[in-house]
Amino acid sequence: MIVIVGAGPAGLAAAKAIARHGVSCTVIDAASKPGGQYWRFRDLVQGYKSQRAYGYFDELRSNPKITYINAAQVWSATRTNDLVTLNYLQAGIEKSLKCQTLILTTGAYDRSIPFPGWEKPGSMTPGAAQALLKGHGVVVGKKIAISGTGPFLLPVAVGLAEAGAEVVGVFEAHSPLRWLRSPIALAFNPEKFFELLYYAKKIKKLSIPMKFGKVVTEFSGSTAFVSRVNSELSIKRSSDEIQCDVVASGWGFVPDLSLGGILGCKEIVSVDGTVIFSVDRNQQSTVGNIFIAGEATGIGGSDLALIEGEIAGLASINKRIPFTLRFHRARKQLFARALIRSYPVGNGWQKWLDAKTLICRCEEVSCSQVLSSVVELKAEDSRTSKLFTRAGMGLCQGRVCSRNVSEIIAGAKGVPVADTERISYSNRPLAAPISLGSLADGIGEK
Amino acid sequence: MTRRISFSFNGKPFSGEEGQSIAAALLNSGVTELRKTRFEGEPRTIFCGIGICFDCVVTVNNVANQRSCLIEISEGAEIVSQQ
Ligand code: FES
Repeated sequence: MIVIVGAGPAGLAAAKAIARHGVSCTVIDAASKPGGQYWRFRDLVQGYKSQRAYGYFDELRSNPKITYINAAQVWSATRTNDLVTLNYLQAGIEKSLKCQTLILTTGAYDRSIPFPGWEKPGSMTPGAAQALLKGHGVVVGKKIAISGTGPFLLPVAVGLAEAGAEVVGVFEAHSPLRWLRSPIALAFNPEKFFELLYYAKKIKKLSIPMKFGKVVTEFSGSTAFVSRVNSELSIKRSSDEIQCDVVASGWGFVPDLSLGGILGCKEIVSVDGTVIFSVDRNQQSTVGNIFIAGEATGIGGSDLALIEGEIAGLASINKRIPFTLRFHRARKQLFARALIRSYPVGNGWQKWLDAKTLICRCEEVSCSQVLSSVVELKAEDSRTSKLFTRAGMGLCQGRVCSRNVSEIIAGAKGVPVADTERISYSNRPLAAPISLGSLADGIGEK
Repeated sequence: MTRRISFSFNGKPFSGEEGQSIAAALLNSGVTELRKTRFEGEPRTIFCGIGICFDCVVTVNNVANQRSCLIEISEGAEIVSQQ
């Protein structure tokens, strides 16, 4: 039996590839609707090329070879003698699923960077604004500032403006000229250029102010303070004060590694400090019959996720991988590396913070508390600091803050963050926090 | 026409469209505070929108720590802010 965790582009592509060869598989996903974070639609299809999602949705619904388990949160997994057991909660009921072959496509979520006021209502990730709009038909605010870095800011801005919000500005930290550093990646991915053009035209048509080299570095709840920053994100000078009720700030993505980490799949640190899984040319992880595809093997967007998912699906049933697929993967990986070059997240943001800025939102740990754990309590690493301050120990298990805590501590000590530390903060004992009652039941069963 | 679903939040009646999350339906009705934080008593609402950050947790029908950005509204649900 083959189980695919995740119903985003990578998971759906894997399922389709497997089913096409007459082999059965099961797709299990936390959301109630398929599509993952990339493909969320309420009714009308909108956005660039999003209609292709429907082919995959139809397959999921109508192909008898594919079993689809939705609204099911996998919270832990074990592996004995090549048999993987996935424990999941569905509508409060604990269930489990066994398989010989597992394909993980657990995706990614927005990376957040703290700034004074980022905990205030109205401050959120672009992903939240997008999910509310596309998934629930709700426009998050009247006047919205979009800030951070990366191409994802554009569709969010366009979507919100088309839905009637006033987008007061898209503040992109980096200059588009950085793309000139990646001529080969661009030459091999001409369609990406057209995608960019599509959004550029829309932004112009909707009269959305597009600002490069500026970002929101403080938010009062009703005013966004915009600064001009250098490529390391250090503030060069404060520039504008803009009235808005929402600041959607996002700095690329963090892959969700929890499940593969629990199962012992090897992780590596990519050039920009993002922790990802190590996979071979068949998308196979270092552990037995576990394949991994999509963002968890490197942030690359939905095109790459679709190709990786298809390769993982084919490899999982020992089918030959066509050369064209491998070629397209290489092409898209070139583009993924160009994304890192074009939209880097330097350490300058650490100087945006003031003593009271919250670093850990859950446990309400401030910047000065984190710093004093290093200076006064002599915490040597983020682990010790977290024990002193409880940063990263709240309900989200450090998903939002743990990378930032490590980078602040390393910054204070003037050293780089060690790879071992990056890997340790990317893992957690449970893939999803669940109520203690369910946890106790799970242990009792064994 | 999508079906309207009625529920309560801190004892007051609200409604939303079938399929909407609790956080989305409340936000759409103008609610900008889902809870107050434990230590500082600061207001919080939706932040990540996809079940990662736990800023949006509420008590739903007496079950605490439910992520309101993920859970869909259901007829008659009693939703209460928690600290
Ligand atoms: S808003 Fe982050 S978990 Fe709901």
